Amino acid sequence: MIQQKIPGKPVTVTINGKKYRANEGEILLSVAIREKIEIPHLCFEASLDPYGACRLCMVEVVRKGKREMATSCTLRAADGLEVLTDTPEIEKHRSILFELYLAEAPKSDVIRDMAAHYGVTRTRFLKRIEQGDPLGNKCVLCGLCVRACSEIMGAGAINFINRGPYTVVNTPYYAPSRDCFGCGACVRVCPTNAIEMEDVGADRVMKSWSDTRVPLSQCECCGRYYAPRELSASVLARLDTPLKEEIARLCPECRGKQLAQNEILAGRGGRATHG
Amino acid sequence: MDERTLDAIIARHDAPAGRLLGILGEIQNQEGYVPRETLELLSEKLGVRLSQLYGLATFYSYFTLRPVGDHVITVCMGTACHVKGAVAILEALEGLLGIKSDVTDDGKLSVTTIDRKFTVEIARCFGACSMAPVLRIDGNLYGYATPEDLPVILGEYGWTP
Ligand code: SF4
Ligand code: FES
Ligand code: FES
Repeated sequence: MIQQKIPGKPVTVTINGKKYRANEGEILLSVAIREKIEIPHLCFEASLDPYGACRLCMVEVVRKGKREMATSCTLRAADGLEVLTDTPEIEKHRSILFELYLAEAPKSDVIRDMAAHYGVTRTRFLKRIEQGDPLGNKCVLCGLCVRACSEIMGAGAINFINRGPYTVVNTPYYAPSRDCFGCGACVRVCPTNAIEMEDVGADRVMKSWSDTRVPLSQCECCGRYYAPRELSASVLARLDTPLKEEIARLCPECRGKQLAQNEILAGRGGRATHG
Repeated sequence: MDERTLDAIIARHDAPAGRLLGILGEIQNQEGYVPRETLELLSEKLGVRLSQLYGLATFYSYFTLRPVGDHVITVCMGTACHVKGAVAILEALEGLLGIKSDVTDDGKLSVTTIDRKFTVEIARCFGACSMAPVLRIDGNLYGYATPEDLPVILGEYGWTP
């Protein structure tokens, strides 16, 4: 579920020998991101519970002179917490992971660039390339899309299917989904840009999800198709009436124009309406 | 599977823990596989997303999504059986039944003869390694199997050359 927003008491954590302020219980990776300390990561998404799937965000925790590895996306800030992000141990672990990811998602530019940034340009593992893979051989099975779809959107259109080396993410039976809203949350959270979505005429097509088609609403003013119909209907159900009517008819751009026009006319004592 | 049967199964599983697997297990046992229509109906009745049910049904090798034959032959491909000649057993079976084993979408090896009499599947270790190589037909175990034994064994299940 959504991470709690109540900040804990202020604490000091040490990263690579430097002290930083954080809130108790805050995720260490978030602290690092805020302080611009580089830690590679694929499966972290602030709006979802930490999951620790990709293992890339490993750091070493120093405790009583001993060191142990931990994923920084599941590590919580506490007073006196001390971590190191680039020890030889971590670097070795990371390189092997990057090699594995290069084999798992050989067509992903994101993975390729990320790995190259850490000096890994080749993999000793067998590259998994499948013809016609709906995710373009870019998926690393991090699970973010599955979780965004069910935990944030409540749609549950996609899931992990099959097992072991055959595990993939897709819709049941590789059939167009009836549960998909076409919201595109999966596309936004995917760290490797694996998911393909395209608006074609009056439909949004989730190409990677078995060509699931979702009808879009059309703007009454400019005629553009702008948002998945069912999704806007469910959002609208929660809004005030005047705003609701406007949003139901106009795309964001035309609504902006109308607002501006009204402002100008109001200054002159008039009012514009859309017809 | 008809709706009444499904309702009866659902009614038998009212505890939340292990409920879905329990229901899916009964469907599998009664039908020999999990039919798509049944899974869709179940999703509607329980208000559980189809993607969740499908994820479960394809995760556990216990479930089959395609109809199987009258007799299910499971060849053990575990380490011990492999070493003791399971590959030869599988090949001999393919020859006798006129099929070619093939991995399905879900990575499962399962083939059914055209007359729907036999389905051949593989498993990884029955826990009967001392009798390797082992195969199982409808719950009956056959140890120390050789390709030469197969015609006789299959004969017990109505196979004719
Ligand atoms: S499609 Fe993207 S978000 Fe979904 S599991 Fe694969 S890599 Fe993760
Ligand atoms: S970001 Fe921490 S394990 Fe993926
Ligand atoms: S390997 Fe076949 S029974 Fe154990």
